[in-house]
Parts: sequence; C-alpha cells; structure tokens
Amino acid sequence: MGKSAVAAGLALLAQRHGLRVLAVEMRSAGGLSTHFSTGPLDFEPREMRPGLHAMRVVRSEALLEYLSLQLRLPGIGRFGAVARAFDALATAAPAIREIITMGKILWEVKEDRWDLVVADAPPTGQIGSYLRAPLSITELVPTGRIRSQSEWMRETLRDPKLTQLAVVTMPEELPSTETSETLAWLEQQQLVHDPVVIANRVLGELVDTSTPEGAPEGAPQGAPGGAVGEMTSLHRSLWSEQQHWLKEVPPDLSIPYMFGLFTPGEVAAHMCDELEALA
Amino acid sequence: MTRTLLVTGAGGVGKTTIAAGTAIAAARKGLRTLVVTVDPARRLASALGIESLGDEPQPHSEEPLLWAAMLDSSASWRAVATRHADPEVAVRLAENEFFQAASEHFPASQAYAAADQAATFVQARAWDLVVVDTPPSGGGIDFFTAPARMADLVGGRLLRWITGGPLPGRRFFYDRAGRPMLRVADSILGSDLLERVAEFLLDLRTTYDGVARRGREIEMVLREASILVITTADPAPVREAVRFYRELPRLASTPEAVIFNRALPKSWLDPTIPAGASPEMQHLVEGWSAEAIRQIDTREEFSARYGAQVATIPWSPSPLNDLEGLAGLMADSSGIPWKSIGFPDVT
Repeated sequence: MGKSAVAAGLALLAQRHGLRVLAVEMRSAGGLSTHFSTGPLDFEPREMRPGLHAMRVVRSEALLEYLSLQLRLPGIGRFGAVARAFDALATAAPAIREIITMGKILWEVKEDRWDLVVADAPPTGQIGSYLRAPLSITELVPTGRIRSQSEWMRETLRDPKLTQLAVVTMPEELPSTETSETLAWLEQQQLVHDPVVIANRVLGELVDTSTPEGAPEGAPQGAPGGAVGEMTSLHRSLWSEQQHWLKEVPPDLSIPYMFGLFTPGEVAAHMCDELEALA
Repeated sequence: MTRTLLVTGAGGVGKTTIAAGTAIAAARKGLRTLVVTVDPARRLASALGIESLGDEPQPHSEEPLLWAAMLDSSASWRAVATRHADPEVAVRLAENEFFQAASEHFPASQAYAAADQAATFVQARAWDLVVVDTPPSGGGIDFFTAPARMADLVGGRLLRWITGGPLPGRRFFYDRAGRPMLRVADSILGSDLLERVAEFLLDLRTTYDGVARRGREIEMVLREASILVITTADPAPVREAVRFYRELPRLASTPEAVIFNRALPKSWLDPTIPAGASPEMQHLVEGWSAEAIRQIDTREEFSARYGAQVATIPWSPSPLNDLEGLAGLMADSSGIPWKSIGFPDVT
C-alpha cells in the first residue's frame, strides 16, 4: 500500500519543518529503512538526516530495557530468566507481545527528546491488536505495575493532541474492503481519535478526446492504436475501477500514482513533496 | 497420486485470483482439482461457488472437476484440542482465555490451521491436484514454519522458560519462597498471570505427541508440494518474494517459478507517440512506458539473482470474478512451467 513510503515521507516533511523526529520501524521485515538508504535499522535510534532519527523496535531489546527500568534490584542474577519468562508469556498471551512494542513507542512519545514520533506500523489487518493491547492488558491482568502503565498508554493513544492514526490504502477491492472493515472497528472501539485515510497510487483522469475508447466505427484517422491505444484503454479502466473504490472508502488525502523507476529514497522524497502540497 | 500446488506471496498481489485461475485451468485439463483458499474477496468466492466458510470442499455447480473450500482457521485450531487432547482437557482448553487468544493471535495459528487442513485434503487422495492459496498473515513464510512452531508452543519450552527450570508440576507455582524471579514477575504482571498461563501451557502440553506427529506429516506434504511465488513488480511484494526464494529451499523446496502479476506488454517499452498528441496524452504514454521498463528491469534482476523461472500474467484492467475471466487470465500468461506443476500437455 506504501505505508513505509508514507511514513518516511511524513518523517521527512516534519524534519524539513525543523521538528525533531523519530521514525520507528515496527516490523522485522519492514521497508522503512530502505527509504533512508542506510541499511537495516537498530534498536538504538540513529541519525538519518539532521534532526531525523530512525530505529526499529526489537521486542527482546525493548523487553530488556523495560525490565531494567522496572527492576532496580541490585545484583539480580535472574534477569535473563525474567526476560525469558516474559518472552514465553508474550507467545502465549498475545497482548503482552504487543504491549512491549507499543510501550516502547509510547515511551518515546512521552520523552521530551522528540517533537514527532512516526511509526511504520503493521498492516491494517493486524493494527487492531496493537491499538487494543493496553485495554487487553487491563482485561488480562487484574493487578501489577504493567496494568497501571497500560492506563497511561490508553490515554496517550486516545488523546488527539498526542496520537494520530493514518490508514494508508489503495483504491482497489482488497485494500478498500480491509480498510472499511478496520475503520468500522475503530469507530466502535474508540481507541484512537478518528483516523486520517490516505489513498495511495491514485490515477488521474485522462482528459483527451483524441483517443479511440468508445469511438464509433471508422474513428478519425490518427486515433492512437497499438501500444498507445492499449495504454489509454488500461488507464481508463483502472481509473474507473479506482473511482468506484474512492467512493466506497472516501480518503482524506489522495497521493497520485508514481509512474516509473525510482529508488526508495526518491520515493520518500516525492511522498514528502506530495504531502507538503496537500497539507 | 495427489499433487499439491502451494500459491504463495505477499498480500494483495492477486494470489487468490491466480490460485483460482490455475485450479480452473487444471480442472479443464481433466484433473480433479480442489482449490483451498482463506478469506477470498467476496466476488471471487462467489465465482468459485463458495458462499460460506467451511472446511468441507464443495463441488462447483458448473465446472465438473472443480471443488473449492474456504478455511475457517479458528475451527481448525479447536480441532487441535479435540483431536490431540483427552476429552476433559479439551473442554478445559476450549474454555481457556489464553487458548482463545492464541487461536486468534498466535502468529503461526492461522498458518498452522491452513497447513493442517490442506494436508488433510492432500492425504484424502480424492483429488489429482490440490491448489492451496496460502494465508498472508505475518508474512506467508509462516505457513511453512507453522508445524514446527506449533510443536514448540505445545512442547513445554515456553513452560520451562517461565519456570526457569525443568518441567514443573502444578505445585511449583504455589511455592514463591525460593523463587525470587517469580516474585519479580508478579510485581509487574500481578500475582496470578504466570500461573494462569502456566496452567494453560500444562494442558496444552498434553497435546504435544499428537501435534508433533501431525506436524511431521504436514511438513512432509509441504516438502513434496510444488510452489509458485506470486508478486507484482512493486518493491514491497518483491522483497517478500525474495524472502521466499531465500528460505523455501531449506523449509520446503525451491519454488517452480515466480509469477509477476500485472505485467505490461513489451510493446509499451518504446511506444510511438502519435503526432499532435495532447500534453496529457504524452504524459500518459511516458508514464506507462516508464512503468513497463521498471517491470522488465525488476523481473530480469530477480531472474539473474535467484536463478528463478520468471512468468508473467498481464495486468487485467478490472478484477476477475467469473470462470471465463479467470481461465482467460491463465491463457494469457507466459512462462508458467505447467509440466513441473503437474499439468498434462499444456503449451
């Protein structure tokens, strides 16, 4: 859908405007790092451009960091054992897995180090379990520190001044269906403020009367056939299919289709310009 | 003999459409064919004649040799308990909050259920070809590692991680005195979460022998299957396809081909812009031509780097939701190694 490109574009845009930005990769096989052309990201934030840092949430490291903040117990030799126990829990009780990732990101939000934290999140179909993780924890854990910590996480997510969800989609059947299901779920759950829907790869309408589409028999000479005729016809068909889905799932922002060969760095820069123009 | 064809790739590249198209083509070549899919788009499901979830394959009303099944992964997961645990434990598991959460969220859960069900169909020997549209959840590679990960989950390794020692009896958890680690975990997680999870894992562990044995059977089916990797020329799905080519030889077998969907014709590489074309038209032609060049570059690089058989399926202007359209899609493809995926005499 171009989630990573949009996330990278947003981070670059904020950096361009002088904000201190942290871009966060939430998936192990995500594409965010390719847009900064710096190789794989680490758990420790690294400066990509002046004022723009990027990191990847590695769950095991986030967990160790959390435990070392929580357990100020001197000489605790069983530290690794606690981490392993948590890791096991995280597999069996899924909300624990997601709270570790979300907790790290929201903790960075809480810190005064950044003006903006942009997270390149899991796909639309999986985002629900992350957004709901703090609530799931309160259902799962009746007492304990993690429960009270999940309270401020919920509030941070719900506060429109602190958290904004952007849902990136494409005007096609599968992504549109998934997006509208997710939007309905979000509406019902009220875990975050109303999300912004960004439609990516939106084709422009072809306004040209000299093309043969729909032309009567014996169209005037010079009407393009061959490759150009095929292009026109494919473009028109795709455009009208897209129009259908744009009506079904109306976006707040539309990003034009980017034709041709670009490096991921160029894609991110282009995305940044498009977003700036729309803002 | 039943042959198996696994159709895999990133989400949204047309995997389900291509699995369906391949199954129709196989049925029309005289193979008794079952297509197994997870959550297809509504219009495609109705083209295949499956209106509701169900692990039971349904014969197609118009296509005599075609069957279709749409998997219900949560039902398959419950079957793990009923099949491999004592009746009493199975009931306790089914009611357990973690069991329900795990069946919905354990990353390998949907993949395991799908692999298990697909293997069951293959072992039934009722079809010549079983085409499996693999679920995309958590990266399609999960489908291939799911049996091993399931065995890990139920095998008690997690339990040992929680207790930090040999497998405990239930009494272990009621003795906090000699276990500072447990008290630390309690302060963060509340006093009974570890116990509740451990109880669950102890119950789950009774399914280990059954799950491990079944896992080896599933792995055998996956190893003997032919694999097609589907992608478009876009960077994210290509990254996913690369991962399949790197990891599948070890996990299952080398894919037979990578199919680039939404391919543009070669004639678009260097089109003649008609004289007097408007600026919009010139822009359009340049754009689509650049797109065609990008696609060819991507395919050539993939083939050179991974020694992959590269096939293409043309970009269909609208979604295909009927049998003729799906069959036509496959007829317009090029480079699919039909013979090696078990088709008789297809050129």
